[in-house]
Amino acid sequence: MVLQELGGKLSAALRKLQSTTVVDEEVVKAIITEITRALLESDVNIKVVMELKKNVEAKINRSEDASGASKKRLIQQAVMEELVAMLDPKTPPYQMKKGASNVIMFVGLQGSGKTTTIAKFAHYYQRKGWRVAMVCADTFRAGAFDQLKQNATKLRVPFYGSYTEADPVRIAEEGVEQFRKDRFEVIIVDTSGRHKQEDALFEEMREIQAAVQPDNCVFVMDATQGQAVADQARAFHEAVPVGSVVITKLDGHAKGGGAMSAVAATKSPITFLGSGEHFDDLEPFVASSFVSKMLGFGDFGSLLRE
Amino acid sequence: LGGAVSALVGGGALSEGDLAPALDDMRRRLMDRNVAAEVADEICRSVGASLRDQKRASFTRVKTVVQAALKEAIMRILMPQKSTDLLRAVLAARDAGTVYSAVFVGINGVGKSTSLAKVAYYLKTSGVDVMLAACDTYRSGAVEQLRVHARCLGVPLFEMGYAKDPSAVAAAALRHAREQRHECVLIDTAGRMQNNKPLMTALGRLVADNAPDLCLFVGEALVGNDGIDQVAMFNEALASASAAGAANTRQIDGIILTKFDTVDLKVGAALSMCYHTGQPIVFVGTGQKYSHLRRLNASFVVKALFS
Ligand SMILES: Nc1nc2c(ncn2[C@@H]2O[C@H](COP(=O)(O)OP(=O)(O)OP(=O)(O)O)[C@@H](O)[C@H]2O)c(=O)[nH]1
Ligand SMILES: Nc1nc2c(ncn2[C@@H]2O[C@H](COP(=O)(O)OP(=O)(O)OP(=O)(O)O)[C@@H](O)[C@H]2O)c(=O)[nH]1
Ligand SMILES: [Mg+2]
Ligand SMILES: [Mg+2]
Repeated sequence: MVLQELGGKLSAALRKLQSTTVVDEEVVKAIITEITRALLESDVNIKVVMELKKNVEAKINRSEDASGASKKRLIQQAVMEELVAMLDPKTPPYQMKKGASNVIMFVGLQGSGKTTTIAKFAHYYQRKGWRVAMVCADTFRAGAFDQLKQNATKLRVPFYGSYTEADPVRIAEEGVEQFRKDRFEVIIVDTSGRHKQEDALFEEMREIQAAVQPDNCVFVMDATQGQAVADQARAFHEAVPVGSVVITKLDGHAKGGGAMSAVAATKSPITFLGSGEHFDDLEPFVASSFVSKMLGFGDFGSLLRE
Repeated sequence: LGGAVSALVGGGALSEGDLAPALDDMRRRLMDRNVAAEVADEICRSVGASLRDQKRASFTRVKTVVQAALKEAIMRILMPQKSTDLLRAVLAARDAGTVYSAVFVGINGVGKSTSLAKVAYYLKTSGVDVMLAACDTYRSGAVEQLRVHARCLGVPLFEMGYAKDPSAVAAAALRHAREQRHECVLIDTAGRMQNNKPLMTALGRLVADNAPDLCLFVGEALVGNDGIDQVAMFNEALASASAAGAANTRQIDGIILTKFDTVDLKVGAALSMCYHTGQPIVFVGTGQKYSHLRRLNASFVVKALFS
C-alpha cells in the first residue's frame, strides 16, 4: 500500500502510547515529537506540521484533567482528525456526466506525470465503457506528441495533435471541438509542464483553459517532491480552476507528504493515485478511508473504540 | 568545524542549553528550505557539538554564532573536493584517442533527457564531436524525444527503437561511435524508481557492461526527503553490479540538479544530495532551453538557505 512507511511510523508512535500505563506530560511530549518527526521525514509541509502539532497539543491541554485512558484516545483522535483535515478539502470531486462531453484538462509541473496519467485515466474510463479521446496541446516538449500518440495507439483511443502547429491554444480548441462534435464523452487535454516562475507559461495555460472551457482541470503532483510543491500548487490553483488532484509516483519509496500537504493549497480533492508506469497503475482515492488505512485501520480503529 | 569559531573569545562559554533553541530554530529553517530532515539534524548536531564550550565574544548573540558556523559547514559540503570540469575530461580523452562516455541516470521525469541535450549543446559549442545514444527503450516517445534534440542540435543520434535491451543498445552505440570517430557519447536511460529491483539491476548491468567514464545522477531540486534515498539506492545498484571481480566498486560520479528555476529559495535538495553522496553537483538545470545549464553557485545556495 502507498504511504505504508509513514503510516507505519505514525501507528507505531500511537501504539507506544497504548502500551504505557502512565500518560504524563513527558510521554505526551515524546509521542508528539515522534509523530512530528515522521511527518517531516515524509515531506509534509513544515508549517502544516507545526500547525498540526499546535492543534493536537491544544486539544490535549483543553482536557488537562483527563484520565490516562481518555488522554490516549484524545491524542489518537486528534492526530487522525488533523490528517484527514489535511487531505480532505471538503469540496466534492467533479462528477463525469454520461452521454455528455466531459472536457478534462491536465496541468502540472514539468515531468510530474501528466501525459502518463492521461493514458491511465483514459484506460480507466474506457474500461468502464465511456467513449474517450485525447488531445495533445503540448507543443513544447520534444517528443510530446509521439508520447501521447504511442500511448493512445496502444490503448486504441482516438487522439488529436500536430507536429507542425506551434500554438497549443489552437490545437486544444480544434481537437476539443472535433471530439465534441463526434460526441466523445471523456475528452482529455494534455498540456506542457510549467512552473509559476515563468509568467508566459502560466498565461498560455490560462489561454488554453479559456479556449476549451474544460469541465474540470486536473492538477498532477509528484509524490517525491518536498517543500516547494505547495507554492506551485497554490499558483496553479490561482491561475486556473483546478478541480481535482492526482498524485503520481507513489510506487517509489517516497512518502508523499509534500504532495499531500499541498492538496490544501488547491482546495480540491485527490481523486486518483498513480503507482507505476503501466496503464492500470491508477487507484481511485477517498481521504478518510485512506488515512485510516494508512494508520492500519484494523488495530487503530479498535483502539479508538476502546 | 571548530575553525570558524575558535577566533571568538571573551563572553561566556556556550552551553548545551544556550545552543539548543538557536539550533532548533536553524534546523526548522533548513527543513523549510527543503533540506532533508535527517541532513538538517546531522548538520545541526555536528555544528552544535563543535560550538559547545567555545567562548563567545561578548555581545555576540548565540544565534549569530550558530548561523555563522552553519554557513561555513554547509559551504564546505557544497564545495566539490574533486574536479567537475566535464569539458576538460572529454578533451583529455580526445587527446588520448579514446571516446569519452557519460550515462545519465535517475528516477522518472526528473530531466535526464533534457539535461543530456543541454550537455550535448555545451560540448558541441565547445568544439566536441558529440553523439547521443537512445537507451531509454521503454517510455513512449523517449526515442523521438532524443531524435528531436539531435536534430535541433545538429548532432548524430544512435538508436535501435524500443523494447531492446538497453545495455546492448549502449554497447552498439559505443562501438558505432568508435568506428565513426565521434569524441563523446551521451547515453540516455529510462527513468526508474530506486526501489524497483528488476529495473535497478538492469541499470547496474548497463553501467557495469559498458563502463562509461562518467555516471551522472540526475535529481530535481523539487525533491524532498526521497532525494537522499534515491542517491543511496542508485549507488547501491551500481556497486552491487560491479562487485564481481572489479577493482573498485562503481558509484555515482556527480550530480545534475534540475528544475532549480522552480523552487525559489527552497534550495535544500542541493545540500541533501551533496551531503549524502559526497559527490559534486556538476551542473544545475535552470530552465527548459539548451542554454539553461549552470555551475552550482554554492554561496547562492547558502544565501538562499538563510535569507
Ligand atoms: N514509477 C512511476 N512513474 C511514473 C508515474 N507516473 C508517471 N511516471 C513516469 O514519470 C515520467 C514523466 O511522466 P510524463 O507523463 O512524461 O510527465 P509529464 O507531466 O507529462 O511531463 P511534461 O510533459 O514534460 O511536463 C515518465 O517516465 C513516466 O513514465 C507513476 O505513477 N509511477
Ligand atoms: N523548469 C525546468 N524544467 C526542466 C528542467 N530540466 C528538465 N525540465 C523539464 O522536465 C520535464 C521532464 O524532462 P525529461 O528530460 O523528459 O525527464 P526524464 O528524466 O528524461 O524523464 P523520463 O525519461 O520519462 O524518466 C520536461 O518537461 C523538461 O522540459 C529544468 O532545469 N527546469
Ligand atoms: Mg507531458
Ligand atoms: Mg528521458
